[in-house]
Amino acid sequence: MTDEIRALSAQYAADPSSLVFLRLGEVLRARGQPDAALKVVLQGLSRYPHLPEAHDLHARILVDRRDFAGAFDEWDMVLRLVPHHVGAHKGIGFLYYRAGELDRALYHLRAAAELDPEDAGLHAAVERVAGGGEIWDTPMPEAPVDRAPLPTAADHGTDLPFADLAGGSDGLLLVDQHGLRLGGGVRTLEGRDVSEQAAAALAGIAREASRAARLLAMGEWSHLSVECADVSACILNPTVDSTLLAVIDAGTPGGQLAFAADRAAKSARAWLERQR
Amino acid sequence: MRAIEPWVLQPLRTFVDESSARLALLTTSSGQVVAQHGFHGALDLMSIAALGAGIVASSTEIAVQIGWTPFRVVAHQGRAQAHLLSWFDTPRGRWVALVVFGAETKLGLVQVFMEQLVRDLVAAIPPEAPEKREVLAADFERELNASLRALFGR
Amino acid sequence: MSADLATLLDGLTRMRGVRGALLVSAEDGITVAGALLEEEQGPALAALAATLLARVRELIAETGHEPPRFLHLQSAEGLLLLAPAAGDLVVVSVAGREALIGPLRLEMLRIAEQLD
Repeated sequence: MTDEIRALSAQYAADPSSLVFLRLGEVLRARGQPDAALKVVLQGLSRYPHLPEAHDLHARILVDRRDFAGAFDEWDMVLRLVPHHVGAHKGIGFLYYRAGELDRALYHLRAAAELDPEDAGLHAAVERVAGGGEIWDTPMPEAPVDRAPLPTAADHGTDLPFADLAGGSDGLLLVDQHGLRLGGGVRTLEGRDVSEQAAAALAGIAREASRAARLLAMGEWSHLSVECADVSACILNPTVDSTLLAVIDAGTPGGQLAFAADRAAKSARAWLERQR
Repeated sequence: MRAIEPWVLQPLRTFVDESSARLALLTTSSGQVVAQHGFHGALDLMSIAALGAGIVASSTEIAVQIGWTPFRVVAHQGRAQAHLLSWFDTPRGRWVALVVFGAETKLGLVQVFMEQLVRDLVAAIPPEAPEKREVLAADFERELNASLRALFGR
Repeated sequence: MSADLATLLDGLTRMRGVRGALLVSAEDGITVAGALLEEEQGPALAALAATLLARVRELIAETGHEPPRFLHLQSAEGLLLLAPAAGDLVVVSVAGREALIGPLRLEMLRIAEQLD
């Protein structure tokens, strides 16, 4: 845990009614911990259900978790509270653009650009969607009646692996037998998402572990624990055609690693059953 | 993957899958190709088969000269690639295996599965026809051409 | 040298449940020194342990964390334990279910440190 997160968490714990949850949620999100960020913002929203910034943060976290319908509802709520909220116009514009509804996207992105004339990136986005700089010479159209954009083929459902666990999918990666990611994710210490690369490597490890156990007549393997100076990891198969990686800080007692991994495996099995 | 005789295919396939070998070649000790995996050119194959048999013969002769038991395995290790030559006796005579592999596997693993390949081949060899006819030069060339056609599907 | 290396493993091979201990070249997957109750298993154990370690190292390298210093593969009938040392060597042991992982781990890490 970084010093900043630690300090903000301590502040929030000392005064749960403070607005420090907004900053804590942002930092957690920036550090690639969307599940922890979600927990914090939901706690904050329970105290401040009409705080536009809280809904805006919630929406951005939901986008990270690929819950685009939920994100739309949150930004819609923000605009009901504050019709000229730049972040909400940008966010809804992005969702419409992503869904291919360019007219609606253009309206919201242009509204955001007019509210924030200094944002060069936003201006460039408007011109790209409009197909040219002449858009600024045309009058602003009337606000469309917003409805959630239709989901794209790339949208995932909101039923995610590990959603029922206290820490969410932090440090957990679930892959299929072909090395394709099913859920969770892994990041480097710098926050870079390496889930796909890790997923490919994980499938190879599962195959090697199976082969070693078979050829050495050790029976079926149940788990592989890996100890590094800065982390510990456990690899196991929740089902015959999936593999789970659980990573915890090196400071956590080693005996707890297997427990944590088993809990995650149980959650993964339940999720996989629901998908089938 | 192709073989002169079909019973060679399964043991060789298992070997390639388990060892992650890039290329595999089985020949008789005189250099006649029995089976191959990963080679694309007939000329390359013939040259390599002959050279492999030659290396095994030379290595065996060195051991004889020194008074050692002939080496069964010779490994040449490169930076990105390595090859392993091994001879073994079968009811059909002495055969030579050439295996080329890269960093995706280990020498030890290739050796372990080479031992398994030998066991599998010996177990899979069907009984030989009772009569062996003498191989004439013309017959040899015809058989060589037939084996190349079988190996490359032409 | 092989005798000295084999001596390092003596304490490990006498621990409860241990069926064998090897020093393996991680690069080649070949035994450098060691002793097993089932000698014929040696080449396979060395090769498979080295291959498993290579795969785990690839995964950990992707995540940007420190290289692994201990691996424990738990199976129905026993354990496979690995402790990489500096350079190319890996301490490998195979044990039955009755073995105690805690003391084994400490002994293997101690041996790996001596090899550094």
